[in-house]
Amino acid sequence: MLNILKPFSTWIIIAAIAAALPLIFESSFALTLLSKMGVLIIFTVAYNMLLGQGGMLSFGHAIYFGLAGYASIHILNGIGEETLPYFPTVLFPLIGAIVGLFFGSIVGYVSTRRAGTAFAMISLGFCEMVTAMTLIFVIFFNGEDGIQTDRMVGPEPFGVSFGPQIEVYYLILFWVLLTVALMYIITKTPFGRMSNAVRDNPERAAFIGYSVRRVRWQAFALSSMFAGAAGSLHAINYEHIGFESVSVVQSGAVLFMAFIGGAGHFLGPIIGAIGLTYLDSTLADITEAWLLYLGLTFSGIVMFAPGGLAGLIVMHGPIARTNKNLLFSLIKPYLLAIGSVITGLLGLIGIIEMLYFRSLISKGEGEIIIFWTEFNANGILSWLIFIGLILLGIFLSKRTFPVAKESWDNAISVVKTEISNE
Amino acid sequence: MSNSLKLTNVSKSFGEAKIIKNLNLDIKKNERHAIIGPNGAGKSTLFHLISGHYKLTSGKITLNGDVINNLEPHQINRKGLARSFQVTNIFPKMSVYENIRCGILWSLDFKYSIIKLVNKNKELNKKTNVILQEVNLQHCAHLPAGLLSYADQRALEIGITIAGGADTLMLDEPTAGMSNSETERAVNLIKQISENRTLVVVEHDMGVVFDLADRISVLVYGEIIATDTPNNIRKNKAVQAAYLGTEEH
Ligand SMILES: Nc1ncnc2c1ncn2[C@@H]1O[C@H](COP(=O)(O)OP(=O)(O)O)[C@@H](O)[C@H]1O
Ligand SMILES: [Mg+2]
Repeated sequence: MLNILKPFSTWIIIAAIAAALPLIFESSFALTLLSKMGVLIIFTVAYNMLLGQGGMLSFGHAIYFGLAGYASIHILNGIGEETLPYFPTVLFPLIGAIVGLFFGSIVGYVSTRRAGTAFAMISLGFCEMVTAMTLIFVIFFNGEDGIQTDRMVGPEPFGVSFGPQIEVYYLILFWVLLTVALMYIITKTPFGRMSNAVRDNPERAAFIGYSVRRVRWQAFALSSMFAGAAGSLHAINYEHIGFESVSVVQSGAVLFMAFIGGAGHFLGPIIGAIGLTYLDSTLADITEAWLLYLGLTFSGIVMFAPGGLAGLIVMHGPIARTNKNLLFSLIKPYLLAIGSVITGLLGLIGIIEMLYFRSLISKGEGEIIIFWTEFNANGILSWLIFIGLILLGIFLSKRTFPVAKESWDNAISVVKTEISNE
Repeated sequence: MSNSLKLTNVSKSFGEAKIIKNLNLDIKKNERHAIIGPNGAGKSTLFHLISGHYKLTSGKITLNGDVINNLEPHQINRKGLARSFQVTNIFPKMSVYENIRCGILWSLDFKYSIIKLVNKNKELNKKTNVILQEVNLQHCAHLPAGLLSYADQRALEIGITIAGGADTLMLDEPTAGMSNSETERAVNLIKQISENRTLVVVEHDMGVVFDLADRISVLVYGEIIATDTPNNIRKNKAVQAAYLGTEEH
């Protein structure tokens, strides 16, 4: 019996931890945050079927997320007003999936005829078009206000009404586990493998019998389907849907999460969705400049770690497998390098915060709290401290980075010699 | 013997430049046919036309009797024609094993399935190992293909090409850039994989060509000036004048 479960042990452990989280973090803030993370995990992993697995950069994937959300809200309202027959809330993501699959198949059929830049532009065009429609077709989309709903409709099987947030959390968790497992399995199928093949070398893929366009189209449609499932949960979670859910902003957010987490690895988008949702919910309250920091982080990742956070981790896999001590020897140079960067970043953040403060908030008075410390945004001393930190950070980085790089090169060369000796 | 591949009045122009001129070629079933000719003669272009990579300007190409010149590359491949490229064309980020396995998928009718698991299929993985063994790459099966040596990458490309079980194989300069010993190994491999198959090969190394080919076609400036057995080609005056005597490519 236990042997049968063994291949799924990781999944079971993760499921158990996720199920226990609301018991550990009891606040309603935490529960809302966890629910949002769940929805965005599905959406981001779905998006990565395109970006990471299929090599297609879309700026408009919120269309399928948002439209599924609108459809779900309308159906919930219809059930509430008894113009539609009852449909179990637990199965609503299926409705979203169908909506996503439907629109994804249509738009995908058109847009996957082209690859690269043209594909990205087409996706952007469609997204702008749908966003404009939300403001034009008021009957369906209700313009800028969006639509409200009440998720407590129909009977309450086993006493579950989906009124309390905790019940919604477990609903979302169930669908996260199911859809992420399905999407993972899909990467191991002939379609999943050929999706990677088309990403890496479309020309070669055609000469082994596969229609490149068909592979891309299927990836697009499936990715939209799962995005639609996420959209349904999003609607149920907030009991509201608005035009921003189909917009370029939402599309960009999912791109950020997938890319910062690491598009090249299946776990990357999950890391990205969890991390950025957390920062978004916590930092947005603390600083006005949150979006600026997000933008800087994204640019930094694009330039210095195109594999994202997951890429940085996976990169060390061969070293860990060859020799654990080699991996440990990297810790000290890494910590020193990270410390230098953080020093510089502290200075940068201080400057940014004071600039924002002076231009947006302050009306004469200069007291500002940065890193739990009071500074005077009008006083020269505060500026000198932060500029000093930036300079110190640069100075330290110049010393610690070459050491870190050398340690890395050294470790990799050891690994290479071991491999060639095998 | 029936025709495997038949080209009738095939022409190809890029803008004003006529690269392939009214070309006729019959390649017989299960023969090894070499195409030789100076650089820029149009050999690779000819391969691109046959495999569907380029569209013809005019003319007709048939494979085992079926017209193929209006088909997409993947459709031509499914009709039993597989090719390699002059510039190595593999899936560099995937493992060597996966490269080969992807090459097999269509022939085992996996199509675009999202319900079958590639790791679980015995026949698929057995066949992958057979091909790996044939091209002698078992030792690096799990390395990313992009990390292999040049010669190994060329061998892998041949592996991908034969993986789908095509009965007509086209190899574009399979030994270019190899050392003598690597070339010898590659030629043995090509001989072995082309048993009971039709082989069309572009090759610059005359030693290889005369060793390998049943018949040779000489392509000069987009025209075939002779098609014959190696011995007759050697004696052919026009060929000597146009090609063999002047330049060793
Ligand atoms: N896509 C293309 N566009 C324009 N000219 C091309 C193209 N492909 C090949 N050519 C030209 O066709 C001629 C034949 O090239 P190619 O078939 O590669 O020769 P070979 O393989 O015999 O050395 C060359 O002059 C080359 O410049
Ligand atoms: Mg050539």
